[in-house]
Amino acid sequence: MKKSIGDNMFPKDWGFAQGLELVKRAGYDGIELWLGDMPWFQMSTSDADVRALRRAVESAGLVVSNVSTGLHWRSPLSARDPTVRAHAARIVERQIETAALLGADAVLVVAGLVTEEVPYNEVYQRSVEALKPLGDTAKQAGVRIGCENCNAEQRFLMSPREFWQFLGDVNHPAVGIHLDVGNIHDNGFAEQWIEMLGSRITRIHVKDVLKHRGRCGDQSVYTNLLLGDNNWPAIRAALTKVGYDGWLVAEMEARYRYAPDQQFFDTAQAMDRVIAGRL
Amino acid sequence: MTVRVTRRQFLECSAAVAVPLRWRLGRGFSPVLGAKEQRVLDLGPHCSLRDSLAGYAAAMEGRAQETDVSSLAPCAVLIVPAAVEIPPAAVRAITASLEAGGLVILESGAGFASARDRSRHRAVLHDAFQVRIESPVDLWPEANGSAIPYVDYSWPVAAKVRDFSRVVPLARGAGEIIARVNGLPVALRLRCGRGTLIVLGSPLGPALWAGDAQARLWLRAVVKATAGLG
Repeated sequence: MKKSIGDNMFPKDWGFAQGLELVKRAGYDGIELWLGDMPWFQMSTSDADVRALRRAVESAGLVVSNVSTGLHWRSPLSARDPTVRAHAARIVERQIETAALLGADAVLVVAGLVTEEVPYNEVYQRSVEALKPLGDTAKQAGVRIGCENCNAEQRFLMSPREFWQFLGDVNHPAVGIHLDVGNIHDNGFAEQWIEMLGSRITRIHVKDVLKHRGRCGDQSVYTNLLLGDNNWPAIRAALTKVGYDGWLVAEMEARYRYAPDQQFFDTAQAMDRVIAGRL
Repeated sequence: MTVRVTRRQFLECSAAVAVPLRWRLGRGFSPVLGAKEQRVLDLGPHCSLRDSLAGYAAAMEGRAQETDVSSLAPCAVLIVPAAVEIPPAAVRAITASLEAGGLVILESGAGFASARDRSRHRAVLHDAFQVRIESPVDLWPEANGSAIPYVDYSWPVAAKVRDFSRVVPLARGAGEIIARVNGLPVALRLRCGRGTLIVLGSPLGPALWAGDAQARLWLRAVVKATAGLG
């Protein structure tokens, strides 16, 4: 397995090149680029500038592990308004285009968003319908779409069995799950998600979770690797069982208050322990 | 195959809009209820919510045929989902079905249309069917923290269906109001010649698409009560 971390983890006010240098020095193999989150990688960023990002990544001795985005929280594929849905689809298309330009073969998509206004069944149907043609686009580009399990935030696809059915309804080889082992909270156990969805996993986000804690002020339910309630030996064993040998991508919500670069080193070392099974 | 209204068809038939429905109801016509055709009309680019179209098609469970508007014969049941612009060919099809004693469910998609398209939509509804609509209302900013704004249908059966965010209230006037949401009239029933026109200001099709049981119950009841088809 290989280690990656998102560019949205860079300390504030750091530039792209400085961040890449930190990622390399901390021992990662790759970088996850977040479309729309960072000034250097926006929907308006030209193909030429995207190629320049790739050159910068490769010059730093890294590769791009995948292209993610948080833009679908504002513009979900499951929106009722067709114009919003069209924009959401365009975001995915741009992710796919840029992934191809960056030499990556996976993108992360938040596939649907259940709200008080837009109920679950509508979100399910629209998400399935939206992902079928996007799967075709991804396949043509040699890219896989990983739908992230943002269980609590999406209020959608809350169990692994449900996610399995969802992917079955989409029924496209280029659409799978970008599994976040920290997002399962107290709804279940990450190792069971891995076992059930193993062959459909495109990437894995790693963070730890404090199951007893809800969101409260600046206190996050998430924490750093090995500090929370995830059963890491069980997660590692499940990864072995399903034969997952792809990217582990660190995605931490809580940031170090001081010495933020230290979090990159600590996280990389924790990931090394998980990969090596020294737990 | 789904055939849509082309711009050419629009232009060829544009004169039809100028002829109000009630002028033409007195002419001779052939009853068609025996034919039992049930159709869901795809207005193509003039349908603002494709999931509404899919919802009606699914709810009719294969009983509704696909429709070529340019050669559409009068139907026993004609459903027009999420209509924004209603091209003259579609107006003629609706009118012919009503004249022949059919049921037409005309669902407004104006809540998700541009101001220009809404203006055209409003004009056609008024000129062709004497139905007046008001500007769309977004129910959700006011719903924050309060009850879900359900659409309450009162005819032919009571049914409660989730709103679809933006509704087009129907102005008081012709017809009987058969549904309200938050006090706003959003569906009416209107006798037109021998037929019945039902205008929906809150899209029902997406709820059908999402499998809402009461939406399906209501649609079946309307078809049964009005067209005598179960």
